[in-house]
Amino acid sequence: MAKQRRVMAKREMVIPPDYNLPREVTTIAGKDGTPYLQFNTGMLTLYKQTYGEISRFFMGLKEGKLIGARCKNCRQVMVPAATWHCPDCDFAPMEEVTLPHHGVLAATAPITFFPSATFIGKAPFCRGYVDVATKAPVASFLPCRLRTTTGIPRPGIFVKGIEVKLVFADERQGTILDVFAVPMSEVPAKLRKKEPLLASQLNLENPPVPKIKEGSKWKTPFAAAMKDMKTMASKVTKGSRAAKDLADRSHTIGVKTGGGKFGMVVANGKLRIVDTLPKKVSFTMAAEDPVVFTKWVKGGSLSDAVMEGLLWLPNLESFPALYALDRLPRSIRRDEEEGRRP
Amino acid sequence: MMRRVGIVGAGITECRGRWVEKTYWDLFQTAVRETLSAAQMTIDDVDSVVYGIYNDIFEHQAIPESSLTGLIGMTNKPGVRITSGGATGFYAMRGAIMEVASGMSDVVLCVGGEKATDCFDPLSKSPTPMVINTIAYSWDPFFENPLGATANDSYMQMCLGYNDSYPGDIGDPLVRAKIVEKLCRQGNRNPYAQRRDEHVTVEHVMNSRWIIPPFLRLLEACMYTEGAGATIFASEDKARELSERSGQPIIWVRGVGAANEAYAVGRGGYYKPLDRIVSDRLAAERAYEMAGVKPSDIKIVELHDAFVAQLMITMGEMGFVPVGKTRALIDEGIMADIDDLGDKKAPVGKQVLVNPSGGLIFGGHFVGGSNMFSMWSARREMINRQVPLALVHGTGAINACFGGAIVLELDEGGM
Repeated sequence: MAKQRRVMAKREMVIPPDYNLPREVTTIAGKDGTPYLQFNTGMLTLYKQTYGEISRFFMGLKEGKLIGARCKNCRQVMVPAATWHCPDCDFAPMEEVTLPHHGVLAATAPITFFPSATFIGKAPFCRGYVDVATKAPVASFLPCRLRTTTGIPRPGIFVKGIEVKLVFADERQGTILDVFAVPMSEVPAKLRKKEPLLASQLNLENPPVPKIKEGSKWKTPFAAAMKDMKTMASKVTKGSRAAKDLADRSHTIGVKTGGGKFGMVVANGKLRIVDTLPKKVSFTMAAEDPVVFTKWVKGGSLSDAVMEGLLWLPNLESFPALYALDRLPRSIRRDEEEGRRP
Repeated sequence: MMRRVGIVGAGITECRGRWVEKTYWDLFQTAVRETLSAAQMTIDDVDSVVYGIYNDIFEHQAIPESSLTGLIGMTNKPGVRITSGGATGFYAMRGAIMEVASGMSDVVLCVGGEKATDCFDPLSKSPTPMVINTIAYSWDPFFENPLGATANDSYMQMCLGYNDSYPGDIGDPLVRAKIVEKLCRQGNRNPYAQRRDEHVTVEHVMNSRWIIPPFLRLLEACMYTEGAGATIFASEDKARELSERSGQPIIWVRGVGAANEAYAVGRGGYYKPLDRIVSDRLAAERAYEMAGVKPSDIKIVELHDAFVAQLMITMGEMGFVPVGKTRALIDEGIMADIDDLGDKKAPVGKQVLVNPSGGLIFGGHFVGGSNMFSMWSARREMINRQVPLALVHGTGAINACFGGAIVLELDEGGM
């Protein structure tokens, strides 16, 4: 009984415990200068929502199978099987078909960096549509997560027409997240025909740092970026806004660029830029062009560089550090502006 | 045979990022009050009401229209609420138009709006992620919502799909930035616009933060807005009587077209293609056919610009520029410039005035009434510029699969 209770406690809950507000009424100033009241509330509904007729599809996923519905008349395939009666053939019955675990990305897919509240801490991620029933004359596409073994998703990977492999989560609950697609070119040849291929058989969490070739043309921008970053780091002083941005954070970040390597050490509310690659790092990031760091210091952002594919990051866990670093130039500017005021 | 339908009044509230001074009750009442007052009417002139409210979660009440009935003076009269995603305003107006056209009512009030930013996310301590969350409930709970899809993704995957099939069109950031700059200057002239005091340049746009590369920077997106808008539709006899009373010209509804594509994305059959907005094309074609006009006859367009890249595609789908070459809006100067036209001039030649209100990007986007906001602006500009024909467009739902268009005609004699 006690053991069971412990298991229950570990379970992910539908609503996370800190996803809440205290019951209170607060004052808020109107644009008209008058105070108004606002009350903390919610619109909460919990469900045990039936999968009904599409339960078969999710049972298939749990078993490591991908099933669709095929119309006996027009031969179109619907995947996922959203109905068992063909809307194009006077609702003729559709039959279950087992589909291959590979397909073609139907369109270049967007990468989500700014998620909804439910997905905070889980972005960036990529989702798109996979044409699985490629042999059918008409077919719906499988909506699914797109993942890469080469780091954080970036533009240029999930483009229209690439072949993808469907990969299954090792532990499957019966949700659409039980399956995801990986570019076939990233799947080792010996695993390409495996069905189901499991997530644990691929290296999704610790991708190798891309090889950055150092070149003389990057030396000058590298030196400039180092100087700019060191100047900025010197302004992260005790009690400043920037120091607050870094409070409670501790990261040792290795950085590889075309102009050279360096380290960023965030600790005790301070940022240190070091000239060599630290021996032990929380994670490593990489950019061929060191100008991404100059742009950051000048009021741009590192996350913008990631979104453009100019700065490489290994995984989701490395992203929150970037958001904190992104705030520094703005915080320093605000502190300086305030300092100048009489 | 359907009856002729005329617009005798339209009004909106100020568009704000958040109205702490008003609940949605007061926002709707304000829009109704000001619309009636400007049209020199009272609520007693109105036979029935159609409400446009998109999302119960934003209002924090199921059947939110029920609490509005008495507050807007429509007690014991018929009222119906229409909700169709981003196209809610369009479909609400279509409902009101049908009610007059059918002979069921003579004067119908159509009022729409949204309270959006009372939502609050406790983790980020800001409204935006919760607003995005609320809109994300527009995706189904089985397949799409659990993947983390957002409204931005919904439009951007379509823009990416379009770019796959028609490269070199919406992909030029300079063209998009020039459109944004024009919209900004137009929004500066709209006294109700949310961003009427902003001065956004091409450089600002191209240096603003990415939301989703490569077609969506922060300054290329519509806003979350709180506000409401109303339009009054009347039968021909009533319209003439009310127009005589107010001294304002009638705007006739000459054509209405609507089309909803399938929700599921796929290849062939009835599935939604990702590289086109078929709903926009069909809706516009149907409105043109009913009106007996072609796009080149229309000089003012108020379209639902959720995002600039989508504005370009929609202008292509509606026949103002070729699909795949929508950058002609800038390259060939199709999009008129407000600085050349001032407050009174009509666009000439091939030019079209697109979103003189500033659109949803600079004007405002109170979802359930955004298309009434567009209607208010189209009417105002037709009268001020003496433009005979205009088009109001709405789009919404996942992957822009709902589309609607209304062709408007300024009454002969104009003023």
